[in-house]
Amino acid sequence: MKSLLGALAVVGWLTAATVAADLDEVVARGELIWAADQEGGGPHVFPDPADPRRLTGFEVELAALLAEELGVKPRFQQGQWDRLPLLLGRAADCVINGIELTPERLRDYSCSRPYFGYSLQLLARRDGPVDTFHTLAAPGPEGRWRVGVLTGSAAESVMRSRSDLEVDVIGYDGTIDSLEQVSSGVLDAAVMDDCIFNFYADRFSRLRTVERPFAGGFYTILTARDTPKLSAAIDAAIGRLIADGRLKSLYDRWDLAGRQQMLMLRDGAEIPVARRKTLGELARDTLPLLLKSAGMTVLLSCLAFPLAVGIGLAVAVGRMHGPTWLKPLLTGYVEVLRGTPLMLQLYAIFFLLPKIGLALPAVAAAVIGLALNYSAYESEIYRAGLKAVPLGQFEASLSLGLSKWQALRYVLVPQAVRIVMPPVTSDFIALFKDTSVCSAITVIELTKRYSVLALSTGRIVELAVVTALLYLCMSWPLALLSRWFERRLERPAADGTEG
Amino acid sequence: MITVSSLTKSRAQVRVLHDVSLEGAEGTVTALVGPSGSGKSTLLRCLNGLETFDAGQVTIAGHRLAAGPQAPGLLERLRRDVGMVFQQFNLFPHLSAVENVALAPRVVLGLSASDARARGLDLLDRVGLRPFADARPATLSGGQQQRVAIARALAMRPRVMLFDEPTSALDPAMAAEVMEVIVELARAGQTMVVVTHDHGFARRAASRVVELAAGRIAREGLAGDVLSADGLASA
Repeated sequence: MKSLLGALAVVGWLTAATVAADLDEVVARGELIWAADQEGGGPHVFPDPADPRRLTGFEVELAALLAEELGVKPRFQQGQWDRLPLLLGRAADCVINGIELTPERLRDYSCSRPYFGYSLQLLARRDGPVDTFHTLAAPGPEGRWRVGVLTGSAAESVMRSRSDLEVDVIGYDGTIDSLEQVSSGVLDAAVMDDCIFNFYADRFSRLRTVERPFAGGFYTILTARDTPKLSAAIDAAIGRLIADGRLKSLYDRWDLAGRQQMLMLRDGAEIPVARRKTLGELARDTLPLLLKSAGMTVLLSCLAFPLAVGIGLAVAVGRMHGPTWLKPLLTGYVEVLRGTPLMLQLYAIFFLLPKIGLALPAVAAAVIGLALNYSAYESEIYRAGLKAVPLGQFEASLSLGLSKWQALRYVLVPQAVRIVMPPVTSDFIALFKDTSVCSAITVIELTKRYSVLALSTGRIVELAVVTALLYLCMSWPLALLSRWFERRLERPAADGTEG
Repeated sequence: MITVSSLTKSRAQVRVLHDVSLEGAEGTVTALVGPSGSGKSTLLRCLNGLETFDAGQVTIAGHRLAAGPQAPGLLERLRRDVGMVFQQFNLFPHLSAVENVALAPRVVLGLSASDARARGLDLLDRVGLRPFADARPATLSGGQQQRVAIARALAMRPRVMLFDEPTSALDPAMAAEVMEVIVELARAGQTMVVVTHDHGFARRAASRVVELAAGRIAREGLAGDVLSADGLASA
């Protein structure tokens, strides 16, 4: 029975036809599981500065009120913001996290009545050139303006739809990453919900709001489509919270202008439901984007790997034959890069270097991060390869009058390179797949593109198949190449030419 | 051409060479013989600085080696004038026969690729392997590989050639073809030092024989005298 349920859960996940818990189960369980992202999540959901083990935020209080209305206790579930809806029916009953009410979300999920009205605010440096919204309509001194947004947010879709503006829109995974990048000069401006900037404004004293908010909408609570009773219960609960003033006093406590919010909610606009795309439309609209992003994946791999091999080889040679003072430094280099996550290294290069005045474009930061990280692994492989070359080869080279470096260059390294070809090729395939981590620093490669498109079109399975096929088309030739090298090395005699 | 005086060397507190002195005049062939572990290979490797020593002095082809680590660059200059052939050939497996021979002239002497190849082909001709110029070492027999190794060492036109048991890893037929090449070099007046177990070969090729035992010189003299005195010649 358990395995059957497990299989059902897998099928449910695959088809996104959620086997979700409706109201009866929530009540029986005694817990309403609500999902949100606490990373940079103020004022919605964030760790209490006074006690970081505890979550606070106006949505934490809202969730508590809703649970109370349903007669259960609230339980928080952490998730990556733009992927929160995928938790519905698996890890969460509902999503309460500043999710904007959009036609696409109305199509794919059950959306509650609005509980908060947000406005989109343009933000820039006080001393920067962006002083009116209109500034963005003409190219800046360095070409198109670079504007940061939260990936998957209304700010992103609004800015991407504004073809009248000379802007490159760059998506970030964290709410306030874009504020950091505007502050350090990497971006010209950022766009986000006004309540978020109001909350963090003190931390970013170099930034200011540019004019009044220029667009807006409503936050909604998402539930799965097949839990109608839960959706209705949440709608009714929001209605009671609005009617008896509890929601207004909650917003007032959080400095969120309770009276204005109530007026906005009263006049909440109708939003049309988006139509589901046909497969033909889906292919036409998404394939070019997926192929372009696959190109980015190839570009990152093909730039980063040769660099990684070059640096790795130099480090290996330095550790084995370099001056004594250099060896501990290189050992430290290898251990630090192997011992810390690639994601953290990319963050350091992209977000921390600008603080000391070294701002790199995202693609450059990604290539450098991947190259440095993999150079540590390659150097270990080459060290093993160099050790596998018999000592007699080195002695024979020296006895001919070659210097140590000439012996390395003409005799030892060429042989080591041949010996380690199979593991190095296999590492290339690994790096090729690791490029997906670069989405953390705004590079849109294949995996990120898939994730964005799947969420905006609601075609999670179809696009997953296409994306997986694209990856296979790219890594299969590499695997063949790797096997060819191995076969070649197993029969070294066959590679000579009889005189 | 070669002067070794009072050479002493210890390895892990064990004395492997003890106060060894010997002379090798230009155009002569010196054979180093003695049982395994007597120090003859170590002595040979001290002559081109593949091993350091603790006391004494080596003068070879006009270069002087002192005890301990050598001055930078000295060994590279010395080794241009002193070629070496190893028991296990140590050919470069990623290069063809002629590339093995041409590498050092090209890299160390700065010859053009075509000049270096021409020199390589000449030398392969001399050891009878011209038809195998483009073969990889792995496709050659042991005897052929050792002849390529000799050609490789000769490519630097060394004033002295060192041979470290050049026929020990070969079966008798192959050993014979390698010996033939070495005897031919001796006739041509090449100064050589040869470490060998094969006393027949030593008698044929060497003008002088030095016998080592437990790191000391046990006997030395003309090849015929040393090797026939106790009937070793028949071994």
